[in-house]
Amino acid sequence: MGNDSSPVLQTTNLCKRYGDFTALDDLTIHVDRGQILGFIGPNGAGKTTTIKILVGLSRPTSGSAHIAGVNCSEQAAKIKHLVGYMPDRFGSYDNMRVREYLDFFGAVFGIAGAQRRKRIEEVLEITNATYMQDKFVESLSHGMQQRVGIARTLLHDPEVLILDEPANGLDPKARIEMREILLRLAAEGKTLIVTSHILPELARICDTVAIITGGKLRAFGKLDEVMRDLCPMRSYEVQLVAQEDVRNAANLLQETLQVKDISLSEQERTVRFPTSESEHELASVLGKLVSSGVQVAQFREVVGDLEDAFLFVTREEADAKS
Amino acid sequence: MMASLIAVALVSCILVLLRWPTDARIDIVSQGAMLVFRPLAFALTLAVMMLVPAFPATSLVAERKKGTLALLLNSPKSPLEIYLGKLASNVLLALILMSVSLPALAACVAMGGISIRNHILPLAIVLLVMAVQYSAVGLWISIRASSTDASLRWTYAAILALAVLSVGPLVFVGNLSGLAGLIAHWLTAISPMSALQQITGSQGAAATIGISTGWVDFLVASAAITALLAWSTLRLLDPILLDRARPTGKVITGDTGGARRRLNYLVDPNKRKAGIPWWLNPVMVKEFRTRKFGRLHWLIRLISVCAIISLLLTVVAASGTVNWGVERIAGPLVLMQMALLLLVGPSLGANLIASEIESGGWQLLRVTPISALRIMTGKLMSAFWTLMLVLMATLPGYSVMSYIQPAISGQVGNVVISLVIAVAMVVTISALVSAFARSTAVATATSYGLLLVVFAGTLLIWLARGKPFGPVLVERVLLINPAAAALSEMKTPGFEQFNLAPTSWYICLSIAAGCTVILALRIWSLSRPD
Repeated sequence: MGNDSSPVLQTTNLCKRYGDFTALDDLTIHVDRGQILGFIGPNGAGKTTTIKILVGLSRPTSGSAHIAGVNCSEQAAKIKHLVGYMPDRFGSYDNMRVREYLDFFGAVFGIAGAQRRKRIEEVLEITNATYMQDKFVESLSHGMQQRVGIARTLLHDPEVLILDEPANGLDPKARIEMREILLRLAAEGKTLIVTSHILPELARICDTVAIITGGKLRAFGKLDEVMRDLCPMRSYEVQLVAQEDVRNAANLLQETLQVKDISLSEQERTVRFPTSESEHELASVLGKLVSSGVQVAQFREVVGDLEDAFLFVTREEADAKS
Repeated sequence: MMASLIAVALVSCILVLLRWPTDARIDIVSQGAMLVFRPLAFALTLAVMMLVPAFPATSLVAERKKGTLALLLNSPKSPLEIYLGKLASNVLLALILMSVSLPALAACVAMGGISIRNHILPLAIVLLVMAVQYSAVGLWISIRASSTDASLRWTYAAILALAVLSVGPLVFVGNLSGLAGLIAHWLTAISPMSALQQITGSQGAAATIGISTGWVDFLVASAAITALLAWSTLRLLDPILLDRARPTGKVITGDTGGARRRLNYLVDPNKRKAGIPWWLNPVMVKEFRTRKFGRLHWLIRLISVCAIISLLLTVVAASGTVNWGVERIAGPLVLMQMALLLLVGPSLGANLIASEIESGGWQLLRVTPISALRIMTGKLMSAFWTLMLVLMATLPGYSVMSYIQPAISGQVGNVVISLVIAVAMVVTISALVSAFARSTAVATATSYGLLLVVFAGTLLIWLARGKPFGPVLVERVLLINPAAAALSEMKTPGFEQFNLAPTSWYICLSIAAGCTVILALRIWSLSRPD
């Protein structure tokens, strides 16, 4: 077992190959106790492969993965007690009520009778699912199933929770509830790895982000660090009053700032551009626009988010390929 | 599917090779060709009965569960087109199955005595109509069922009722006239057996009691049933009707109330279950709880029905209303148990692994510390004990027999041993198939096919004892059938000459043990990291 200062989860040069296809290439990440790692990547990026290695369902071709100091592939039996895994598929059983479902998984984990009953009540409480304990699992809504799925992963009190797309398909209210549950778990000292395609949602809960594409790690670190690294240019948007001013404004901005990636929308009467110029320079650009007769309604910085960082990485990869 | 096609082709080839004439003359009234044609016709009928219904039985219920049925119903395709598409795909499957036997049927014609017009064409039409009818049955049940598992079981029960049980009551009742006779006539016509007997020129039980129906009657009865089922299914193929309320999840937490209420509480399906005790395999308990028929109240119902039927059969023998001895009545009793075993067993066993993988439950089990061996024993035991409980329910019948004729107590004991071995075989073979199949439907169809080859296919060889199969070959073939061992122990007519136990037990147990070992290896391999 690792001590409190060492990372709870650590992968080192993790590779997984299926014949000629490299699903995972040299992945090195670490997560500290009580942190939430947002694991992001497009479909087929290697997220599920990584998760499978971490939960002992797959062996790496090379490299290693450790959770709480335990090797994920060599000590798979121990890993099962340390990790709670919620796959993207719920894994429902017919004719089974929620309490019976949790009782089964508790028994499979070897939790004794009285302790199991107590633990089921606790996990139902944590996930706000007590009211659904007598419902049949196959009759639950998607949001309810996700909560039961988290309750199931918590049964054996694991140190690390790996949740594959927990917010997928949830309505806004259920998403907020899910976010609260995950933050509460992290506050209780659980380490979480969460994959999601709903990036604004993920940005609100995770401390660390790993962006992976084509099996390679493209960015890893604290959320604000990643954002700074991937989005060094600030993005500005000019909102115009008249549609016919859009082209003039875009030309003027291009001449003054010498930027390539100006995007404009005549319908929305906006011009958007990336820049690293100072506030003074930008003030003078705004002055030029106004003095040239362009009617400016707004001139503002657009705050970059995780989605921008993700798009930046995937665009970079697409450019490299082309 | 491929295995089934190969099996049908193989059976066809063997039958032709056995009776292929060695001299240069063609016998125009050849009995040899008929001896090939007859078992081939019955084998093809069995294949259609067992392989065709599995796919329509899972088709609509699986689509509804995945949500693709709602998408289909919202497409420009009409419910009728969807229904016909599903029906046609299944009938095509039957056609492929039949096409495999064409060379053997052609060989029968070449051998002489079998004509295309009088034999081959009627047989093809009967098989095709059967495929359409049984697909309609499967779809009719599939649209109503809550799970693929339940749908499969009900479909095979319905097929058994249509094909076999429809003739059964008449055999016991005897000659009938007037309206009862008319009903008896059309009840017999529902079954393809009478039609096949006419095509193959064999005498059946129905004919011996004065009821004879032709294959045209079968077509009429079948068309009527198919039309009725299609109409009924099409009424439910509507997005609005598919929108069912979710179960409320009502539970009863206490056993307070009157004596009756307290008694009911013991088997109340809405009772909150206690936790899984430490001394029970959790996988086994889970299997029981996830099956509708695994729940205590259903098991009690099933066992009660079995007990009543077995006692009724014995009372019939004891009261002398039918001039049958204990040996004679033991035959139907064993066959009833085997029919029950073959009806429930393959779908139980075939669900064990395949449905777990399909539902995503297998991946969850893999991330738990439970061992592959414990998963296997839990799953096998859940099917084994269910079938054993059903078989045990028929023990009162055997007890009464032993009471009437104490001398047969030893034989009854041997019959029970044979039946327990049959349970072991059914469970292990179907579980093994389940561990290798890609879907529950494929696992179920393959299990039914394989077990029918063992239990019914060997009896086909027995039916053709003397011609073309000699007694030594028949005895050897019957050794792999524990039902035959049970029948020979009870000296059932036709089985007196065979002495199958205990050699048959050793062979069957070896098969079950072999299947268990392969199953253990397969489950171990499925549980390991990729």
